[in-house]
Amino acid sequence: MSDSTVLLEARAITRRYPGTLALDDVTFKVYRNRVNVLIGENGAGKSTLVRVLAGVETADSGELLLEGAPIQVRSPREAAALGISIVHQELSVLSNLDISENIFAGREPVKAGVLLNRPEEDNRAIRALATLRKLMQVRTKAAKLSLGCRQIVEVARTLDQGARILILDEPTSALSTTETDSLFQVIEDLKRSGVTIIYISHRLHELLHLGDWFTVLRSGRVVGQAARGEVSRNWIVERMSGRAIAEPSPVYPTLPDAPVLAQAEGITLAGSRIDEAAQAPLHGVSFTLREGEILGIYGLLGSGRTELLEALVGARCLHAGRFRLKGVGVDLSSVASTAARGIVLVSEDRQRDGLIPEMSIRENIAIGDLHGFFLSRRQQLVRVRSLVRELNIVARDLELPVTSLSGGNQQKVLIARCLMRNPSLLLLDEPTRGVDVGAKAEIYHLLRRLAIQGIGILFTSSEIEETRTLADRALVLCQGRISAELSRGELTDETLFAAASPAVNTVSIPPSGVALT
Amino acid sequence: MTTSSPSRHRPASLTRFSVRALLFALRARAVVVLVALLILFSVLAPSFLTTNNLTILTKHIAISAILAIGMTFVVLTGGIDLSVGSVAGLGGMVAGYLLTQGVVIGGVVHYPAVALIVLLTIAVCLIAGSLNGWLVAKAGVAPFIATLGTLYIARGAALLLSNGKTFPNLAGQAARGNLGFPALGQSFFLGLPLPVWVMLALFAVAQVLAVGTPLGRHIYAVGGNERAARLAGIRVPRVKIFTYLASSFCAALVGLIIASQLEAAHPATGESFELNAIAAVVLGGTSLMGGRGSIPGSLIGAFVIGVLSDGLVMLGVSEFWQMVIKGAVIVLAVAVDQLQSRLQARFLPYLESSTAGGAE
Repeated sequence: MSDSTVLLEARAITRRYPGTLALDDVTFKVYRNRVNVLIGENGAGKSTLVRVLAGVETADSGELLLEGAPIQVRSPREAAALGISIVHQELSVLSNLDISENIFAGREPVKAGVLLNRPEEDNRAIRALATLRKLMQVRTKAAKLSLGCRQIVEVARTLDQGARILILDEPTSALSTTETDSLFQVIEDLKRSGVTIIYISHRLHELLHLGDWFTVLRSGRVVGQAARGEVSRNWIVERMSGRAIAEPSPVYPTLPDAPVLAQAEGITLAGSRIDEAAQAPLHGVSFTLREGEILGIYGLLGSGRTELLEALVGARCLHAGRFRLKGVGVDLSSVASTAARGIVLVSEDRQRDGLIPEMSIRENIAIGDLHGFFLSRRQQLVRVRSLVRELNIVARDLELPVTSLSGGNQQKVLIARCLMRNPSLLLLDEPTRGVDVGAKAEIYHLLRRLAIQGIGILFTSSEIEETRTLADRALVLCQGRISAELSRGELTDETLFAAASPAVNTVSIPPSGVALT
Repeated sequence: MTTSSPSRHRPASLTRFSVRALLFALRARAVVVLVALLILFSVLAPSFLTTNNLTILTKHIAISAILAIGMTFVVLTGGIDLSVGSVAGLGGMVAGYLLTQGVVIGGVVHYPAVALIVLLTIAVCLIAGSLNGWLVAKAGVAPFIATLGTLYIARGAALLLSNGKTFPNLAGQAARGNLGFPALGQSFFLGLPLPVWVMLALFAVAQVLAVGTPLGRHIYAVGGNERAARLAGIRVPRVKIFTYLASSFCAALVGLIIASQLEAAHPATGESFELNAIAAVVLGGTSLMGGRGSIPGSLIGAFVIGVLSDGLVMLGVSEFWQMVIKGAVIVLAVAVDQLQSRLQARFLPYLESSTAGGAE
């Protein structure tokens, strides 16, 4: 790094959220004309840090220095004026506008002082897209674009803004292999043209391939910094997880002759034609789940993993397909009927689909209990208390609002709510999203305990590490089809990722011959 | 559970054409309904197409169209403005007060000129609009509640101005130098009533603003995805405040026109006008969720509502039935709106199959 100077520096940044310290005295240096990689598990504070850099959030304390001079970044607008642009993890494309309208949203070129200059917009949009080697009709509505193309639109936007520092927050989490490859090409091109990149991901092989300078975050602290040559796969994993080697969860081999608990046949769901990101289709998804087994479903964003779980819990209108639990068919037309059979879902987005923020911790757990007409508070409290103990939910008082808890404890509250119903099949969509490392391990152990008790567990994940750690067997979903079924021994980064990428043939899985370190 | 759908098989080109025609008719449903109503009423009521009647009709339409144009901006951002009727009433009362009572400055009563009165009225209404905008954009009050509050405040203020009485005789007096107010609502220009010209001018300005300026695009962006709009650097509060100001500006014009037409200002003027305006906006295809819709659509929506009300009156339909029919049309319009997006989603693969290859 001696040949490169520090372009941007975040010095002693602290950012506190209710219940968590997202960034704890973080100092982060961004080297000029390099790909600066920021690594960490979910909830480590990566996104918060770059959101501070991009003016989306403000730090509680600390300062930002651009080329050594202190700067104030209070809004995305101010950041853009300083040449700092961000492509967000959750894409923020305006789907009711077209491509060039999106590229110029908020900074439209005008003629005669007030009127939009459509021709100029279109020309500049075409030029930016050409730089990215992605030629698209600039008058296409963004709702019709694939996730990869939406991302390109956002990158094109930052290019036209003349960004000097481009922040990419988990840019490949929704992309196929081909799209990822072309994004890497774009990053190389940008680097050559003098743009400094900040790249966030938790996909190790990507990072090792791309990165020039590595910074590892764990629980809001910087725990490691190194240049390209000094970094190995193990170095990253050790620092990310805080353990010497990722602790393998205790394996309880499922007996192959354990009785079948659940069986899905040909689950088919029509996709949303208007906005595929809103609902991906499913095509004839079939699988079996044995008693005591933890089945993982790995897939990229838009692969249909959330849709599959929602279909199984009766929240989607099925096109075709059957689902049996303990040999008896389940009516998948309503959530009430699946709940009656003991099928429960812990959904992906806690804030939107899970927690009721106005209610206390106790109430949030207790609403899982649907029995009886009158509420017996005493009985409920006994049950809730025992679940809180069993799941090790750390709370000062059960009557505090649920929002006072950390992410990990909130997730445990949702699992406790599901357990109130004595489920026979527990579905979890991204069980450890936004959960810190410690709570993650606890949740893995808890799920294993539940599986041993005979509850069938089906979870989806977009994280390879998680699928490898937790699943006894994994299905890989790709564009709504099961593209591979992998037993524990076959679960590797390469097999999972290859099967999840649409470009790969869905039948044969290439041997994992590529060494990564 | 296993719902089989007709969309499994690719329809023949004839069906594809009829699907296309159906979707087009649904998309242009406001125009279809308007033409149907015009034909229906001109057949059933022979006097419907007379110049005299059409003049009255366009005057009525102008009132709800002006409100609907302002309302469209608010609805496009995902908001709603329930206060426009009250604000129009307040506007009329302010004009009436200034014309008949004047302003006391230093113990002497001054009577402002009509042009000044118009400006002052608009200014008062813009205060109401900025209150709405501030509540929604800065204080984070839900638009429904914020504008409901302003509805009562404005109505109360209108009643307070006259203690609940009507200001009559707004023709003005030569001695006071405030003649000419009635011309605003009653005069003609090139054969059309002046309010219709106001409507047309407003329409032209609003349409250019909506599709031809950055502000217009920001309005669509905020309604489409407020968070994404903010991340794109759009000043969301400013955009929202503008829409409420535009809406109350339109309300001020309506208040002035009505007071001028009647040559009297009554504090209850404009009651439930907001509902007509919202109905026109919705009929015109603007989504109450924001981000989708158009100014011309709202204009056509206002025409549908105006033609429907006046036509039913001419046919001698009882006032009670008029309300039932109007309500049914509005509900039907929204139901059809939902139907259209679902049908479009279902048939889109066939319509695109010729270019995009086979549909699944």
